[in-house]
Amino acid sequence: MSGRAPAALLPFVVLVYIGLLAPLVVVVAISFGPSEAFEFPPRGFTLHWFSEFFASKSFVDSFFRVSLMVGVLAAVLATLLGTAAAVALVRFRFFGREALETFFLLPLLVPEILLGAALYLLYARLSVQASIWTLLWGHLVICTPYVIRSVTAGLIGMDPRLEEAAMSLGATRLQAFFRVSLPLLRSSLLSGAIFAFIISFSDINLALFLSGPESTSLPVHLFSQIQWQGDPTIAAASSLQIVIIGTLILVVQRIFRLRLMV
Amino acid sequence: MSIQATSASLAAEPRPTYGAKARPVWALLASPYALFLLVLLIVPFANVAFFSVHSYSPTKILLPELTFDNYRKLFDLYYLRLFGRTLRLGLITTVVCVLLGYPLAYFLARARPRVLAIGLFLLIMPLMVSTVIRVFGWIVILGRKGLVNQALVGLGLEPVKLLYTETAVVIGLVNIFLPFMVLPLMASIERIPPSLEEAAQNLGATWHQTFARVILPLSVPGLISGCLLVYSISISAFVTPALLGNSRERMAAQQIYDEVLVSFNWPSASSLALALVALTLVLMFWALFATRRAGRRERAA
Repeated sequence: MSGRAPAALLPFVVLVYIGLLAPLVVVVAISFGPSEAFEFPPRGFTLHWFSEFFASKSFVDSFFRVSLMVGVLAAVLATLLGTAAAVALVRFRFFGREALETFFLLPLLVPEILLGAALYLLYARLSVQASIWTLLWGHLVICTPYVIRSVTAGLIGMDPRLEEAAMSLGATRLQAFFRVSLPLLRSSLLSGAIFAFIISFSDINLALFLSGPESTSLPVHLFSQIQWQGDPTIAAASSLQIVIIGTLILVVQRIFRLRLMV
Repeated sequence: MSIQATSASLAAEPRPTYGAKARPVWALLASPYALFLLVLLIVPFANVAFFSVHSYSPTKILLPELTFDNYRKLFDLYYLRLFGRTLRLGLITTVVCVLLGYPLAYFLARARPRVLAIGLFLLIMPLMVSTVIRVFGWIVILGRKGLVNQALVGLGLEPVKLLYTETAVVIGLVNIFLPFMVLPLMASIERIPPSLEEAAQNLGATWHQTFARVILPLSVPGLISGCLLVYSISISAFVTPALLGNSRERMAAQQIYDEVLVSFNWPSASSLALALVALTLVLMFWALFATRRAGRRERAA
């Protein structure tokens, strides 16, 4: 067993993975099952719950108009904010750099449900109505650190002499950054943006407090449907989220170091 | 979603390309997000602190006089029980995560690259799917006619009530937070050269001795940060206890949710939220500095 994982651990490891994946497998399975009563294993195969999903205005709205839209906006804006912050942290030396780095990490240390409650109380005090914007601002707080993390790693892994070479050949600092560094940072930028999207798309803790009646995100809609004992349309919507997130994680694993992101 | 405090990149030394004489471009670059955090993280919690020292009024948002009653109230029997239950469930979750997560972390740390890639994908993918979906899966599995009870009946046993019990809450929490235990542990085990294990075995150590005297002591930094992470995240869990637990045996975050959105007692919710956030931050910073210190020692060695 020199150095390699001992084969004796394998059965245990497989069991743990079964437990880890069981809820997702069950959700996907019942979304294709004919029974209305969350029957697992399903007896038969139907796409009925997916057509129910697309026929339901509340599901379609929460999925596409709220969650997908907020997720994409959050990914774009977080990438802009996070890239700028990461460049500042890696490429410059200034007083308080480490403190600023810790400050930028703070959103990951505060429990999301409490951040949601705190933002709700602030919006309430200022009489700000809940909308997709209140949700988006909240999501940007928690999404941006993932971009900072991936772009920081990308910048540290890059040879700064490349930019210097470009500058010595007559490029300005901005040109050197946009023409040389940015293309090299492609995969860390994309990974950061993907993670920002996923964090926003699957968030429920902030959304429970920041979603309004017109801006119910998919996870919040699922939460209330589960509480009111809905039908397997819940499972169909969940399966769609699982497929989207699974695919995006595969992309990140292909182009970047997945472990760095979590 | 949450944090892993082991991001080695952020602890690394900067490699500046621009000299000190450069204009403070960094301030221009860093200020948008810094302002964002100021307005949407610091100010909200300052507002929470403000609420927490004022009295509740059913007619106004709050009364003007200062009071510490909201904090005194946290020592009432009801709240002490709430904290006790929350901290106890967090502790059980953490212990179960260590027991399940350690072998998994060791396996992954010593796995071939291809196995590792599959293992990491299967670990991280479920972590990123919304909590509410994973909890929904457990409702189906643990329900009255769920998978577990079908199996029990199939074996000729009595079905058991699992859903809406503390057991269900712990199962859900372990399922959701296990990756936060495995990832830091794995990082720490990977740094132990396999040659150390071989040396111990060549010198006649049994597998148990090798584990207890070599692997376990050297993986303590990962173990500490994994435990702190899982513990601090599970004590603020909301969705899992709300959907899998009993409504009379709530956890702290459920109480906060109800006081904010149902009973509108914002001052009371604020003192509770501030107490919970303070506890979490202490644990999280401990985890963060533990990993940073381990990382520095590593580089120094």
